[in-house]
Amino acid sequence: MVQQSSDRISGGRTRLACWGKRPAFANFADIKDYFGEPPKPTRGPCVLPRILRCLIVGILFLASFPLFSAEVIPPKPAAYFNDYAGVVSKTAAQRFNEQLAQFERDTSNQIVVAVFPKMQSDSSIEDYGQRVAQAWGIGQKSQRNGVLVLVFIGDRKMSIQVGYGLEGTLPDITAYDIREYQINPHFRNRDYEGGLAAGIDSILKAIRGEYKGSGKTHAERNGNHSSNIGFFVFLFVVLMIIFATRGSRRRGYHYSGFGGPFIGGWSGGSSGGWSSGGGGGFSGFSGGGGSFGGGGSSGSW
Amino acid sequence: MNKFAIGCGGLVVILLFVGLVIGLFFWGTYNKLVTLDQEVNKRWADVQTVYQRRADLIPNLVNTVAGAANFEKSTLTEVTNARASVGRVQLDPNKAPTNAAQLEEFQRAQGQLGNALSRLLVVSERYPELRATRNFQELQAQLEGTENRIAVERNNFNTAVQNYNTVLRRFPTNMVAGMFGFQQKPFFAAQQGAEKAPTVNFNFGSPTPIPAPTGSP
Repeated sequence: MVQQSSDRISGGRTRLACWGKRPAFANFADIKDYFGEPPKPTRGPCVLPRILRCLIVGILFLASFPLFSAEVIPPKPAAYFNDYAGVVSKTAAQRFNEQLAQFERDTSNQIVVAVFPKMQSDSSIEDYGQRVAQAWGIGQKSQRNGVLVLVFIGDRKMSIQVGYGLEGTLPDITAYDIREYQINPHFRNRDYEGGLAAGIDSILKAIRGEYKGSGKTHAERNGNHSSNIGFFVFLFVVLMIIFATRGSRRRGYHYSGFGGPFIGGWSGGSSGGWSSGGGGGFSGFSGGGGSFGGGGSSGSW
Repeated sequence: MNKFAIGCGGLVVILLFVGLVIGLFFWGTYNKLVTLDQEVNKRWADVQTVYQRRADLIPNLVNTVAGAANFEKSTLTEVTNARASVGRVQLDPNKAPTNAAQLEEFQRAQGQLGNALSRLLVVSERYPELRATRNFQELQAQLEGTENRIAVERNNFNTAVQNYNTVLRRFPTNMVAGMFGFQQKPFFAAQQGAEKAPTVNFNFGSPTPIPAPTGSP
């Protein structure tokens, strides 16, 4: 069966598109000739390869960008404090998140902390950190007042990226001092919570007073839609693929029960990798479109 | 006579219409090119700013390092010379260069300065009391930050140039561009040898060097 299906994909009758034209079967023998063996009543032997092929096309389409660049820019986080490595307690993560959200309300400065288990890039942490910060659009667009604290536990590396608008109050040497004297001593003792607490406090102290806040975060002003758009697009594509396959096989046999676990399994898999330790139900983060020019300080501990 | 006048009038209307369409096309295309050109110039100014920032750090750095007991004089001279040669290749900071050779020369001078600086930082590893001084730490943090900024701004400049060149070369914009003298602009190329990762040899003082591993570290 495996041999046959691979023959079908690589052989003359290649049909990559899910909605490819379906050969008209005159009789049972033709079906047998085409699929190799007669279809079983509920789940025909061709259903799986066909769905798989659609899945592969869909995944390739969605994943083509990261595949080409060989570097993964993580998707925009939903919170100010994001512990993807599970090194900070839940209560502390919530406290940090509220602290940073309140700071944006007071000063409009956006500070995002993200702790990852591993760096998914071959570049140096300075370059990668700048690209991530730019991609997430931390800081308000006009003031460009964002700060990103990136930590990669497995690589023992961290980066403080400072947006253009804060380079004056948080110059490289201050970022270096915060990293070297406030955070690193804790990190060397594997006290990540203490290090991050000290680092966040120092950064807030350094940049408080530069800009005035509006009393609301960017997410609160915009009704918190923007961070979910990516997921809806993703869901839409998945549904499209499902409907496309379903529409093309309305005649013939049904495959009830395939849709449900299909969605559940897939979206679960996609969000599981980045599930946030400080995510649910409180002040959400939405980037204001700030930009970064490589200011700040990066290094290992 | 009357028919002729109507025909003439119709022709004039058609000609006016065609002229208007062509005029609008020129208008839009020209303005678009000017906008993109300005974007390139702005990015170029940013590049110049960060390079200038690095150059401005050097006198302070040299003074700090020279104060350290018997610091290697050759490294310092190298940095000073590279700084001087950078000063000789001055390009207009407000207008992106159109001459590829000019940009290459500028890049070569800046690359030399960058190499001299990184060598100085490597040499400074041998002077722990120098590295412990507050002044040196500050300078080093600033230098590192400046190098990062240079990388970012060069990248931004290249993106702007790419946008500009793409629009410029496409039909029919290329005809308008030719008429008004818009030219393609050169990129920053990757530095010579930058595509090869440096081979690190930890084999100090041993007579036969072990071949460097092929994989990345």
